[in-house]
Amino acid sequence: MVRILACAMTIALISTQLQAADQEAGKSLYLSNCAQCHGPTAKGMASFPSLAGREASYIQSRLETYRAGERVGANSGLMIPNARDLSDEDIANLSAYISENFK
Amino acid sequence: MMNKTSYLRSFSVATASAVLLSLPLSLQAQTPQVSQAVFMDGLESPWDMAFLPNGTMFFTEKCKGLSVRLPDGTVNSLLGMSGTDGYSMTAADLFCNGQAGMNGVALDPNFDTNNTIFVYSASRMGDSPATNRVIRLKVSGDLSSVSNRNDIVEKIPYKQAPTDHPFGDAGAHNGGRIRFNPGDGFLYVPTGDNHNSSLPQFGDNLGSKVLRIDRDGNAAPVNADATPDGFDARIFTYGHRNVQGVAFHPQTHQPIITEHGPWHTDELNALVPGGNSGWDPRPNMAGRGDCPDDYCGYEPNQNEGMDPDERRKYMPMTDYETYPDAMRPLWTNNNYSQGISSAAFLEGEQWGDWHGRLVVSFLGIGFGDTPVGQRINVIDLHPWGPTIMDNREMPLSAGPARFRGLVMGPDGSLYAAVDEGQIHRFTAE
Repeated sequence: MVRILACAMTIALISTQLQAADQEAGKSLYLSNCAQCHGPTAKGMASFPSLAGREASYIQSRLETYRAGERVGANSGLMIPNARDLSDEDIANLSAYISENFK
Repeated sequence: MMNKTSYLRSFSVATASAVLLSLPLSLQAQTPQVSQAVFMDGLESPWDMAFLPNGTMFFTEKCKGLSVRLPDGTVNSLLGMSGTDGYSMTAADLFCNGQAGMNGVALDPNFDTNNTIFVYSASRMGDSPATNRVIRLKVSGDLSSVSNRNDIVEKIPYKQAPTDHPFGDAGAHNGGRIRFNPGDGFLYVPTGDNHNSSLPQFGDNLGSKVLRIDRDGNAAPVNADATPDGFDARIFTYGHRNVQGVAFHPQTHQPIITEHGPWHTDELNALVPGGNSGWDPRPNMAGRGDCPDDYCGYEPNQNEGMDPDERRKYMPMTDYETYPDAMRPLWTNNNYSQGISSAAFLEGEQWGDWHGRLVVSFLGIGFGDTPVGQRINVIDLHPWGPTIMDNREMPLSAGPARFRGLVMGPDGSLYAAVDEGQIHRFTAE
């Protein structure tokens, strides 16, 4: 019983840490690569759309589309080079950070 | 077409570099202590400001309209656009889309006697195609309302529909800053090319131009002496791509503009009457073939990163081969396009060696391998000649932002509208 509890606590701890790390990594990526156009609160600026209120799955899908070099929307020329070098993990972290923090 | 000379023509970037490098350290400017703070927050895409001597600040928000902040901090909402409420006057024809909306604002030089203000805004009247207008208004004595709307320019081209280009949405390349020149008293109105290659080099339209008009919208009488035959008399200069910044040298009143570059070559230009800025993105000329939607402005490769120098050779910002008399830019931002947005001159002894220097703002665009470049440059222009003596960056103690509009305040501080929804204040000591 003690062992199961300890195991469960460990899993919970790891899970919390992982979530925190994801958010931090996503935040760091967002601030260095996205905020200059989409804004510090992701509400969009000038010709750049708002990301606020978007589901993680939407962000992830768009980033994967741009990473693949496929055009979607008037700003594809800007987004394709920006997404090209993102890893699956980067995209997951960004999607989680944006969808969780800008509602 | 043009046969004008100006000392400004003889300038070259190489000359500027040579002058800069040859200056002994002791003659190079000392940096004043500059602090940056948020002056107003919670705005929506603030675009431009205009000050009264007592610190009262009129400001535009791109999708909301014109407001005024009184010295005690009270904000009065004056002219609202379609969909707004709480404004003293609401105009259903005024709208925003993409880069267009309510852009520049300027106070009449005689505001203290006529309470007159001007704004530049996109407008759609009934079923007519949308245009940009320069709108004159009267402000009430207590600065709580506006009245007597009079559209003094009605047909500045507005991009009607999306096209296959970067930033290709409707409303693109919309110009929009407006400023009175204290030297000649005229209102200068820079406009944009709308991603339309039939605007820049043709004088039958008001796009891709800098207009010079009086407070009733009439052409400055001498404009037509300098422009090619058949040009609209309101045109002062032509062949521009998208001009969002205009300022006047405090001593010579020389007009200086900022001009957005096409994935390369942001330009700083000193305007001469009737000058051609040399932008001509037409297909099937100057060595080019067909282009997407008849506009070669981002060719030869509009969707991928590419060496800006290669781009410049194919689609030059200033095409000297086709237009040998084109105005030569004072500066080309090291061949980068980073969203050059606005210009002003620092004034006041508190700026120390920077008193009288030109400041130029950047929104920042990270395309391809171009650094994003959000910043404000401080440029020392020689007052009597076309020479850049020094060019450095303003320290940003509160960090970079999408710097959209620069205006000197009557307190000697520099104010910057930023797309993030704030107005920043830069104070020197």
